[in-house]
Amino acid sequence: MPDYGHDLLFGSFITPSNASPAQVVALAQESEAAGLDLATFQDHPYQPALLDTWTLLSYVAARTERIHLSGNVVNLPLRPPATLARAAASLDLLSGGRFELGLGAGGFWDAIEAMGGRRLTPGQAVDALSEAIDVIRGVWDAGNRSLFRLEGTYYQVDGAKRGPAPAHDVGIWLGAYKPRMLRLTGAKADGWLPSLPYLQSLDQIAESNAIIDEAAAEAGREPAAIRRLLNITGRFGGSGDRLLSGPPAQWAEQLAVLALEYGLSGYILMADESAVIRTFGEEVAPAVRELVAGERAQRAGTPEAGR
Amino acid sequence: MSEMPEQPLSEQPTAGQPTAGQLAAGYGRPLRFGVLLTPGGEAPEAVVERALLAEELGYDVVSLRDEPGGADPWTALSWIAARTARVRLLAGAAGNPAVAARAAAALDLLSDGRVELTPAAGPPSAQGEAIDVVRGIWATHERAPLRYDGEHHRVAGAERGPAPAHNIPIWVAGDTHPGVLRLAAAKADGWLLAPGGESTTQTPGTAAAPNDELTAAPRHAPAVAPRNAPAATPRNAPAVAPRNAPEVAPRDDLEVPRDAAAFRNELAAANALIDEAARAAGRDPREISRLAHLTGRFTAAPGGFLTGPPEQWVADLLPLVRHEALSTLILATDDPETLRRFATEVAPALRAALPTTRPGAPRSLFVRRQRREGIDYDAIPAALAASAVEPGDAAFARVRSTYLRGGSPGLVLRPGTPAEVGQAVRYARTQPVKLAVRSGGHGISGRSTNNGGIVIDVSRLNAIDVLDKDTRRIRVEPGARWSEVAAALAPHGWALTSGDHGGVGVGGLATSGGIGWFVREHGLTIDHLRAVDLVLADGSRVRADEREHAELFWGVRGAGANFGIVTAFEFEADEVGDIGFAQLVVDATDTAGFLQRWGAAMEAAPRDLTSSLIIGQARPGQPLIGQIMAVVDSGDAGTIIERLQPIAAAAPLLDHSIQILPYEAIMHVPHAVHDAQGEPVTRSGLADHLTPELSAAAGRLVASGRVYFFQVRSVGGAASDVPPDATAYAGRSANFSLVAFGPGRRALDELWDGMLGHFSGQYINFETDRRPERLLEAYPEPTLGRLRALKRRYDPDNVFRDNFNITPAEG
Repeated sequence: MPDYGHDLLFGSFITPSNASPAQVVALAQESEAAGLDLATFQDHPYQPALLDTWTLLSYVAARTERIHLSGNVVNLPLRPPATLARAAASLDLLSGGRFELGLGAGGFWDAIEAMGGRRLTPGQAVDALSEAIDVIRGVWDAGNRSLFRLEGTYYQVDGAKRGPAPAHDVGIWLGAYKPRMLRLTGAKADGWLPSLPYLQSLDQIAESNAIIDEAAAEAGREPAAIRRLLNITGRFGGSGDRLLSGPPAQWAEQLAVLALEYGLSGYILMADESAVIRTFGEEVAPAVRELVAGERAQRAGTPEAGR
Repeated sequence: MSEMPEQPLSEQPTAGQPTAGQLAAGYGRPLRFGVLLTPGGEAPEAVVERALLAEELGYDVVSLRDEPGGADPWTALSWIAARTARVRLLAGAAGNPAVAARAAAALDLLSDGRVELTPAAGPPSAQGEAIDVVRGIWATHERAPLRYDGEHHRVAGAERGPAPAHNIPIWVAGDTHPGVLRLAAAKADGWLLAPGGESTTQTPGTAAAPNDELTAAPRHAPAVAPRNAPAATPRNAPAVAPRNAPEVAPRDDLEVPRDAAAFRNELAAANALIDEAARAAGRDPREISRLAHLTGRFTAAPGGFLTGPPEQWVADLLPLVRHEALSTLILATDDPETLRRFATEVAPALRAALPTTRPGAPRSLFVRRQRREGIDYDAIPAALAASAVEPGDAAFARVRSTYLRGGSPGLVLRPGTPAEVGQAVRYARTQPVKLAVRSGGHGISGRSTNNGGIVIDVSRLNAIDVLDKDTRRIRVEPGARWSEVAAALAPHGWALTSGDHGGVGVGGLATSGGIGWFVREHGLTIDHLRAVDLVLADGSRVRADEREHAELFWGVRGAGANFGIVTAFEFEADEVGDIGFAQLVVDATDTAGFLQRWGAAMEAAPRDLTSSLIIGQARPGQPLIGQIMAVVDSGDAGTIIERLQPIAAAAPLLDHSIQILPYEAIMHVPHAVHDAQGEPVTRSGLADHLTPELSAAAGRLVASGRVYFFQVRSVGGAASDVPPDATAYAGRSANFSLVAFGPGRRALDELWDGMLGHFSGQYINFETDRRPERLLEAYPEPTLGRLRALKRRYDPDNVFRDNFNITPAEG
């Protein structure tokens, strides 16, 4: 089983409800105070109960110091890639390299179309996402003095000035489940970001990893170039051996196993309560790190146990 | 609608009218100054610094240029929003207007209502469609999804909302092309004269250089909008002076004003066109603000327009703000020294030269269209006008309804001081419409909204202060919520028993009773009340306590809604440590037996236990579920278990959760926007005991299917130590408070009326039946007689009549 060896990331997935914007901002700040590495927000621009994710990300970035921020995941069909790339680079520059780009092909096509967006089939949406990644990377390639042109099926760029370049290598993380999306992840993305509730079983993680790894190899990339993250849900308390339903120590053991045996290196907890965020950041995250570091050290010491 | 005089404007006063000079001076708007900054590509933090400097220098508006390769203005502006507190944020709505509308609303909500918007540059027809879509998304009063089939923009059934925090003004940015001016006049809140067709948003196809070196500006760079340039101006028209003085020749197709007079003439012509088009659209020309981008440079020697010493700038600009209705001047520069000189040497002189009192600009036609009959909106006192919300306002969606009740008032006044509450009352009583008073908006009997009437919402009066630590005396304003009170008192080791939901506001509860989690140990909330500051029906303010206005103080504790609006309560809090909080789930199939056993256990329990039970409707195939919630005022697990055991034995226990928590933790609720629809239907009563007969009747009620929510709270204990005539809350003998919510008025009344013989009184806060008998249940004689006499003295005209109205005693 793979362990791609990445440092572990822990994050929060905060509902960007517009009923109480100050509380959403406060939860991101509490995520930072709890030592989490990431605060993320879903992006459904057709959903009026939510704050616009891009605006919120920018605002929260200005109200935090250390924590990284990402859409989870940004809705590509309603956020054209050239504009998105420029906005992402801007936010990364303003925040001193704290932005990551979780990106999705879109799924709620009725709602997207209702907003004036373009309806695509799932297959077309994958192709569009692939093109969009090229657009985004092309815009970010500010060192390239040539004007940027791209004649895609879904996106066209006609001689635009490139830039700005982001402050750090912004990770493009894809919310992917099906083979074509997984292959795209392996070929072009920096991370894989599925959600636990959408997975049928843990086996699906292993199977998906295999597809990503294979696509990466075909594209001439190291499988380790793609970080594997996971949005998780769970509760502290209760008992039994169900996944992520028990005391923090039990969470830590389970997440350590997922890291060491399933190659995951980022856990983003869906949580809108500060107490839960604190427990995750202050108790679970350090314990997982310790367990994984210990095991990695042991594996490194016994070469035959390595992958 | 007032008619505007034709140009040139006369300064001769007209009888009964503001002088023409005052009107022209920004059409009644205050003079504002803004900056247009350039976000650099590689180091956008520089633009943030400039924006912070602008705020510090007193500028009113910050806007950002959109340039290829530069930072994304929306992102940078959102960042700036988070780092500033006062300055307005003029944003450009680029891209999909439906998405942009939500983004603008989000930024407005995050920034406490500081956003202004320009549609993306483009032909006027496209901008006009974008405005329609943006306003359509914000129009949350429309229940149907937004459909818009335009030439440039199409929306196919998008959900509406969110409404922004305030009415985001939309400025059409552009030059003096008639199409631009007509669009501004027809649909926008203002016209922003932006040279070269440049808005703050949409990018020219080629770079317009930042103008951070103004001294290097070429002589003939256009300082302001070219005359008669088409809306889609050539993209490379330098909007501002380019960096490093490149040899930008004046373009042949631009007629650049060489002097102030030429520019003034051009502006006057544009204004005249806007005014005329506004009138043609049924609008008051003063609704449309006039804004302009300006460039210039400070030089020792006088030069052309806005080129020279500060005195010349003032001389150039004064006629424009005094006579040509310009009310927002946006200086396009990134040079800190220019920003500073303009702010310190030009802006103050312009302000000083204008009249200090202004008539105020009229509300937009789009707002006025949604006004309700019977309310004289123009007579709203000035101090209240800025925070008042009427149906056409963006904030209306958030204030129209309450927690349990849908409403559509014609006006919501939100006074911020007791004096403003007084003004609100004095104004409201002159208006021939209903009056409701709202604190937290959780009222059931207290309607706190209406249809077409006035609401006085005191939520802005929400301070919580400790007055004296030794006596635990606190002062709480009516708009605070009980969750906030609990959180404020927790650090002192104190708590004040209130209700059982932290979202409830202080005002409505603390004027009627307050059956909370420590009621058996510490009594009702009103039993902790030591004094109130009150605004009476005539708008005057009094303080009432045991000595001053003692009879009024008596009446406020139980029937306060009839006598005025309390603007501050002084309470004595209790010392409270950690508590035990239990939620027990039981099988309530034997409803009557359950009620009777729980009731007996509660009556026998020590006072540190307070409990309530809820029974809903049975789900198919499942037993009828009862839920008991209980608080034990003890942090000791043994004591908590001991107290809970008798009530847990009242019915078969299915599940339970017991936690030891600070009191504030059980009161904590996230802030929520109230958006109820319809009317709650409830009946309630106070009972001394859950007798076998009452329990059986309640069991039949629950089984009838005509009640979806039935709740019994324990009272008694310390609440019963207080004599029934000590306060206007008379039901002191009761050990229980019962309430039922049903889907239909008649069905619930039929059942509940049959139970009346079991009750000893009425706690008004849970009762929605408006038949007169309810009044005597709540206020049995001699209480009612005393209250009527009090009403005659303090509210003889019956201004406050929306909540268990006590009519004044006859003379």
